[in-house]
Amino acid sequence: MSEENWIEVGSTDSIEEEDLIRFDHQDKTFCVYKLTDGFYATDGICTHEAVHLEDGLVMDDEIECPMHQGIFNIKSGEAISPPACEDLKTYLVKVDNDKIFIKID
Amino acid sequence: MKNNIIILGGGQAGIYAAREIRQNDSKSNIKILGEENLLPYERPPLSKDFLLDKKKEEDLYFYSSDVLKNENIEFENISINKVDFENKKLFAKNDNVYSYDSLLISTGSENKKLTLDNNLKNDIYYLRNLEEAKKIKEIVSNKNKITIIGGGFIGLEIASSLSQLQKKVIVIEIGNQLMGRIIPKQIADLVQNTHIEHGNEIILNKQIEKITKKNGDYGILLNDNSLIETDFIIAGIGSTPTVKLFENTNLKLDNGIVTNQFCETSIKDVYAAGDVSNFYHPFYERNMRLESYQHAQNHGICAGKNIAGVKTEYSSIPWMWSDQFNLNLQLTGICDEYDEIIERGNDINNGVIYFFLKNNKIRGACGVGIIGKVGRDIRITSKLTEKDNIVDKQILSDQNLKLNKLIQK
Repeated sequence: MSEENWIEVGSTDSIEEEDLIRFDHQDKTFCVYKLTDGFYATDGICTHEAVHLEDGLVMDDEIECPMHQGIFNIKSGEAISPPACEDLKTYLVKVDNDKIFIKID
Repeated sequence: MKNNIIILGGGQAGIYAAREIRQNDSKSNIKILGEENLLPYERPPLSKDFLLDKKKEEDLYFYSSDVLKNENIEFENISINKVDFENKKLFAKNDNVYSYDSLLISTGSENKKLTLDNNLKNDIYYLRNLEEAKKIKEIVSNKNKITIIGGGFIGLEIASSLSQLQKKVIVIEIGNQLMGRIIPKQIADLVQNTHIEHGNEIILNKQIEKITKKNGDYGILLNDNSLIETDFIIAGIGSTPTVKLFENTNLKLDNGIVTNQFCETSIKDVYAAGDVSNFYHPFYERNMRLESYQHAQNHGICAGKNIAGVKTEYSSIPWMWSDQFNLNLQLTGICDEYDEIIERGNDINNGVIYFFLKNNKIRGACGVGIIGKVGRDIRITSKLTEKDNIVDKQILSDQNLKLNKLIQK
């Protein structure tokens, strides 16, 4: 695991619990979530139609797309309710000195 | 016990019902009888991404034939022309006979047609299925000035797509606002402005007196004597439930097939789901018929559970959307029973929502905004509606205050 692929997202207090923030890095965009048991990250764009999930609703471990209510499991990326059928890519997250990092391929 | 379960209608409600039955019942025979020679597919993209070539036919299918095969769900392309509820049999045009123990009717709805007094019936196009979408897509590539008759969801979505294909589009609507059947005027006006900004012409409050054809072009005479000249006409003037097959039977019909909250019809072992069903909604304490993606899916699933013996009440709060240009419009609940309206936001870039309240409780809401901007609040509103609590109107009306504060209470 090379160190340079861990990208700093922001401080841990920048996300409310059961909520998310959008994070852009180079030409990629992500969602970073704070759930009750920690931080998670997925691709930012819904796999169904090109809309950002930053305006979606986080409920328990799920993110619901704001456009058509496709639902993904935040931890696994699994598409669990149509119209979404393609899984969402997930990323490793770590917290170091109150800073959130995600590992980008 | 092994049963023969037949699902009449190969659309969204039918396929979701079939898979739900199989989840709860591994033994019974499940057969879907579909009039289109296509596996069940998604209709919302037909008027949008399919016309715009962003989605292809193969992107539209809910499930592949492999999924159906693995779950032992049969799909047969056949047209049924007679039903014998007493003896539990369906008769096909080709003389095939199908016996069932349980029947789900998910025949959907069909387009209302314009009443024309001349031979132009085949010149007016409608969009409901893939075949019609393909035809429209092919023909409009050679047309420039296109008229849409009917300013409802389907007409406006087509108008948006054709505008994006650089066509000159005119929309003629008989009512005094767009989408008047279910969308509040405040929201309809915002959508109308967006169409006009993109160059579409919107004509309200006008009836069509006559359509004529000359040298391959059309003239549409309106009731104020104005004449619209156009080279292609598409109509989207509403739909009716597909119930012709049942008209002379004992099945209780009233704006569709009357069902209770368990998707049961007036005949034992016969269920109905999706667009064709006029179902009793226990939360709103009235019957309603809905034509939407979410309803077709969830009502199908609910019917599937009940057919498989898992008694399940259907009480989903209605939800639907429409995408036009870069706008996403969403509606939840019902917006025609209220004593108070509360506005949230006033800028379409951040989203505008109108809440419809009765006795200080939310009954429904409708919002529109640049894509993504109203979805979360509308979703929370569905949950608030379902909770049926008296709501804090200050939070509803102030876009700076998050609605999820209300749901956590």
